[in-house]
Amino acid sequence: MGSPLKKIMLCSSEKEIFSVEEQVMVQHSVIINNMIEDGSYNYEESKIPLDCVDSKTLKKVIDYCTYHTHHHNDNQEDLEAWDAQFLNVDSNGLYDLLMAANYLEIRNLLDLIYRTIKNMIKGKKIDEIRRILNIKDHGFTPEEEEQNRKEYPHFY
Amino acid sequence: MDKKKQEHTGNKPKQQSTMEKKKKKQHQQNENHKSKSIHDTLPLELIHRILLRVPLRHLVRLKCVSKLWHSLISDPGFAESHVHLSAAPTHVCLLINDYSKACSVDIDTIFHGYKHATAVKEVSLPFKMKKHYDFEVMCSCRGFVLLHRAPHFFVVWNPVTGSSKIVSYSHIVSRSHRKWCLFPRSAILYGFGYDASQDDYLVVVASRDKNGQDHFDCLSLRTNSWINLNSALPKPLGVRNWESCGFFLNGAIHWSSCTLGVKDYSILIFDLKEKSFSTIFMPEQVMCYLKPTRLALLGGCLALYSYEYGKTNIWVMKEYKVHSSWTFYQISRGECVPLCLSNGSDIVALDPAPISTYTDLRFVEYNARGELRRINYFDYPHLQHFKYSSHGLSNSGTNYTVYTESLVSLPSDIKDKDRDKGQEEEKRPSESEGCQTGKEN
Repeated sequence: MGSPLKKIMLCSSEKEIFSVEEQVMVQHSVIINNMIEDGSYNYEESKIPLDCVDSKTLKKVIDYCTYHTHHHNDNQEDLEAWDAQFLNVDSNGLYDLLMAANYLEIRNLLDLIYRTIKNMIKGKKIDEIRRILNIKDHGFTPEEEEQNRKEYPHFY
Repeated sequence: MDKKKQEHTGNKPKQQSTMEKKKKKQHQQNENHKSKSIHDTLPLELIHRILLRVPLRHLVRLKCVSKLWHSLISDPGFAESHVHLSAAPTHVCLLINDYSKACSVDIDTIFHGYKHATAVKEVSLPFKMKKHYDFEVMCSCRGFVLLHRAPHFFVVWNPVTGSSKIVSYSHIVSRSHRKWCLFPRSAILYGFGYDASQDDYLVVVASRDKNGQDHFDCLSLRTNSWINLNSALPKPLGVRNWESCGFFLNGAIHWSSCTLGVKDYSILIFDLKEKSFSTIFMPEQVMCYLKPTRLALLGGCLALYSYEYGKTNIWVMKEYKVHSSWTFYQISRGECVPLCLSNGSDIVALDPAPISTYTDLRFVEYNARGELRRINYFDYPHLQHFKYSSHGLSNSGTNYTVYTESLVSLPSDIKDKDRDKGQEEEKRPSESEGCQTGKEN
């Protein structure tokens, strides 16, 4: 574990460099924690390339990790309210965040996003779920689709 | 991960020479971005993980969202993972009355105002009944319910997928006094569990034959055959020393000692992998109870309950086989049958109060201090035939069980399905398995 003041560099897919407190990323990202621990990160020269995370998403991820590092003692309700506000993005933004959290192995953010998507689709009608998730091509043949609609009319 | 990276970077716009082109391209990309479907954006693995979080009752519906989801959810591996990962198992209480009428009560929604109307459903049993008393509920394991069907059959049934299997135990009947062989009540012990080491479901039965000899039979649902395990039986077992209904937890089936005659007040355990018996002690304080102590599963823990002067005393073994972890709860409001935990700490119980021979069933919820939180008064038409009887629900070998819903199939079902698929692939490449799971409504 490094000192809280140490900074590390993260590089987005647009080659934009973000400087972050090491502690913030080490605490949340399994991947970065491993890199620091095994000494493969060089503080003088290294930038961690995150080719599959764009700047907008990376900024959000850093915001999340920073907030949760500095506010982990807040009461649960306040944290949840902050999280809800934080994830108030469109579905594409959510997918990007999910991909980034998965890539960096940020477990609590992953959990949060899984839960959010789950709640987006839970108990909704099929047509509504398809709209929310932008599923245009459901892959069923017209006959299969008709069969399903006939069999479970209350699902649609 | 590298593959993912490549895929993703592949979607990024290429460097353009003129600003205008760049803008145009970006605009186009945004447009594309807007209409992007979850299927195009997320790798299968992540969609899979999202679906694993969804409670089972919503999954049947989600199968209709797309073909991809249908195949993800129908995969036997998915059902297995869902059993292990499901953050919030859905508890259902299955009740069967004397006329073999069955209904299921969704315990997690019964107290939730507007949802409660759909919480109670009439259920059609897997085989047509011929006469009254045809079906009795015995116990449950991983989403399967073990039913007894007259005259001498066991039925293993997954109410969610509708799949079932019927097995005769006539060999046990033939060596017993026929008129005394009224299962499940005449069994000394019975239980139903899962042996993960063999991926097999086992039904076990201890019974006494004409000559007073005890037998222990074990049915493997994978091989569909009975094995005799008499040598594993502890001696002496006694006929009325144990509650006959066993509870499955941690790869083993558990029975509680019910008579005051058993001095050491123990819980009998049969390990399904080792095929051996052992016992653990109940908490010392249980010894002063005047009434039999029965088992329940509360929040994935073994629990005991007993009645004393109109109160319900409950002991929960918070850590499996750790004697010092027995924790005491008391419900001072009357004698009830604890069924499961909801929200991790509240006890949901069947409430027989006021005590009389026949009274309407009620579900109640108590907090950890034993204070009443919520009562559900039934005024459902389906449940008018279900009365609490002091000889019914509180006895073992009863007409109710609590199970956690699952999509799991029996090992032999999976084999059959694969074989069917192989044969009929040409004709109907993806037979809608949704039909099989249509029992949700």
